[in-house]
Amino acid sequence: MKRSRYVLVILVTLALLVTGWVPHVNGQVAKTLLVLGRLISDAVSLDPAQAFEFTSVWVDKQVYDTLVDFSKDFTRAVPMLARSWTVSPDGRTYTFRLRSGVKFHSGNPVDAAAVEFSIRRVFRLKLTPSFIVTSFIEKPEDVVAVGRDQVRITFNQPMPETMMASVLGNPVTAIVDPAVVQKNATPDDPLANKWLSSNDAGSGPFILRSWRRNVRIDLEAFPDYWRGRPKLNRIILLEMPEPTTQLLALQRGDIDAAMSLLPRQYRELAGQKDIVVKSSPTFSLRYLAMNVGYEPFSKVQVRNAVKWAIDYDAIKRIWEDAIDPGQTIVPARMFGHLPDRPYRKNVERARSLMREAGYERGFKAELLTVPDPPLPDVAAKIKEDLAAIGIEVEVKQLRSADLLGIYRAQKHQMVIARWGADYPDPDNLAKAFADYDMRQLAYRNQWDHPVKQLVKQAVGELDRKKREEVYKRIQKIVLDEGPYVVFAYPLRQIALRANVKGLEPSPLYETYDLFEVWKE
Amino acid sequence: MGAYVARRLLLAAVAIFGVLVITFFLSHVVPGDPVAAILGPQAPEDVIEALRHRWGLDRPIPEQFLLYLGRLARGDFGQSLATHRPVLQDLKEFFPATVELATASILVGVAAGLTVGILSAVSRGSWLDHLVRFVSLIGLSMPVFWLGLIALLIFYYGLGWLPGPGQIDVYLLRPPWVTGLITVDALIAGDFEVFRNALRHLVLPSIVLGSHAMVGIARITRASMLEVLGQEYIKTARAKGLPERIVILRHALKNALLPIITVIGIYYGSLLEGAVLTETVFAWPGLGRYATSAILSQDFAAIMGVTILIALIFSLANLTVDLAYAFLNPKIRYE
Repeated sequence: MKRSRYVLVILVTLALLVTGWVPHVNGQVAKTLLVLGRLISDAVSLDPAQAFEFTSVWVDKQVYDTLVDFSKDFTRAVPMLARSWTVSPDGRTYTFRLRSGVKFHSGNPVDAAAVEFSIRRVFRLKLTPSFIVTSFIEKPEDVVAVGRDQVRITFNQPMPETMMASVLGNPVTAIVDPAVVQKNATPDDPLANKWLSSNDAGSGPFILRSWRRNVRIDLEAFPDYWRGRPKLNRIILLEMPEPTTQLLALQRGDIDAAMSLLPRQYRELAGQKDIVVKSSPTFSLRYLAMNVGYEPFSKVQVRNAVKWAIDYDAIKRIWEDAIDPGQTIVPARMFGHLPDRPYRKNVERARSLMREAGYERGFKAELLTVPDPPLPDVAAKIKEDLAAIGIEVEVKQLRSADLLGIYRAQKHQMVIARWGADYPDPDNLAKAFADYDMRQLAYRNQWDHPVKQLVKQAVGELDRKKREEVYKRIQKIVLDEGPYVVFAYPLRQIALRANVKGLEPSPLYETYDLFEVWKE
Repeated sequence: MGAYVARRLLLAAVAIFGVLVITFFLSHVVPGDPVAAILGPQAPEDVIEALRHRWGLDRPIPEQFLLYLGRLARGDFGQSLATHRPVLQDLKEFFPATVELATASILVGVAAGLTVGILSAVSRGSWLDHLVRFVSLIGLSMPVFWLGLIALLIFYYGLGWLPGPGQIDVYLLRPPWVTGLITVDALIAGDFEVFRNALRHLVLPSIVLGSHAMVGIARITRASMLEVLGQEYIKTARAKGLPERIVILRHALKNALLPIITVIGIYYGSLLEGAVLTETVFAWPGLGRYATSAILSQDFAAIMGVTILIALIFSLANLTVDLAYAFLNPKIRYE
């Protein structure tokens, strides 16, 4: 009977383990607290002059203010710290008049000197996102404080208003508190980059309270914010790397929003009680690139044969509807987008183009991709589609770092990749995809085409209508001759508890600012 | 005994240095560019070049290694390329969560594994024995990732008995950082609400993570016990009329313990490396995820830091096991 005693002991232990714990009460986070489940481990630095990852840019958007911002449809510049502005006739010099009475979180006033200091600081630090400033403003001295409440900024080219906002509405030009920066400067780090990487010197609607890397970021309302006190008291960003865990926590009500679920999970959630799924196309695109330096792809007929051979509908299905179809390099919803979608699967046409190019017997090509789902499946589909026109594709999966190394060195033949706009203006995409001299994608794919002159011309065109026309021409040329197959613009989705109001995914950042978000 | 320990320590140091050399050269010769990995696809070329130069990645690898050793000798583990912080600081921050989870898991594993293993050996061939063997087979072959999700689904989402991901509930404030172990820090701060909450958060992940150790320990306990139970001195003990409990626990278990201790040491060592999958499912901020992201982004300094730490842990675990051997079995001490 000894055995049964042991069994009894185990059973009792188990029972104690399970029932000894009172049921865990959770769900329904407090009304003024917003908890967001997402990936935050991408964040490297929260210093606006350095932030370039999704999370850090997003946090800076809440903690800092910029001179101007974009309207919600990204077609106009709207005032922020700058109350108004005037433009010189040549479109190069903008003079901003600052709002009065605006305070930093420290209590110090936001003045012209702070603006001058902040933008010049970007030049002096020269960190990753600085190119957004240095591409358009030649030197730090071109940013000048005039008196206490005016700032004059001279650009290196005529700047249409949306281009101006692309630079001065970008978090990299966020205004930091010079006194706080100086207080935390060290001889090695005179601009306090290290300190600002995990601390706050802003004037935005929320104050950065703490950041535990890979764990959570805590924000708290700034009561003296110039637009008024935010409706939320606290925001917590929680690192939840596993989508299923995020989903369960959302359904339990432990988090208010899930920001990095799988497409399938968003689809399952849609229509569920208490949950709302919102989506928005993004200013980014998924594409296949062909290296023109690889002999067969030097022929435009071969490049177009590839475009005609691909089954776009099947690829959309593989991406589980998380994409918005489109074939031009300027994403939908962005100013200047050309909605043409001429290519669809037509094997006959593709074969005849191959014949025309002298490749009726096909050739071999290597296709590079990273192993992130569903890219390997997309690659497999492309391999199948291209086999039908005689192109024998070998798919190679590489780590993103390795793939990038090869891509940058122009040593690839074909690659599947993604490009996201750094600022919401077609100039950004046109430069990357069509201007060889920019050493971005046109360069990597060795496509040096006269269209680059159009790109250089379009950016400074002050007449909005004419500017739009030029971008449409550029897109048409890239569509007809370029070395890219653009598949789609990925959607950005978030799932919310139904009582969260005013939280929208944005095409550019992950969401708009949270100033007006509230809970019912 | 002193000489024995000294010899073991010296061997451990040699092993760690070997690991250091191999990891450094392996991580530097694999293709790929850490700077490109960290800055992403859109960073301009000149920024990439400047950073490569600043981090000394444009120098010959042997030179980089010597520089690294020099810094290491001064206690400087270098700066992580990905987090832009001293690696030592990162390790201090992420290791405690792993220690907490690993310790809870090994406790679960040892308690359950020993009990189940002994029961199964004592009642060999019975339904209990078959059940245990069947369950351990399933346990060994079940991916921990899947087990974690199922556990969350049932006990957190479905029944609501236990809290979900994370070390404590979001609305609770973490106690001041002393040891880094939340449970211990909460006790130091006298914050029993956080202590209770942190303990409850530990239950699911430690059972999930401890299940593999439990199965391993149960199997080795069963085998070792069966071997010992067949020995003459057990028959003698029983013939003397000793109660069965004394025979099993005092005569059999003590002699069966040697191989079990080895297994426990090894399991604890490997649990301390951090469990990437469990940490991912339970949003646990431990070493495993830090190490993985370091490897994926070729964050040399971080990879080296983690490697040295793991080598240290393993050497320590082995040393402890050896010492425990010597303690339990005098024959080893005198060899």
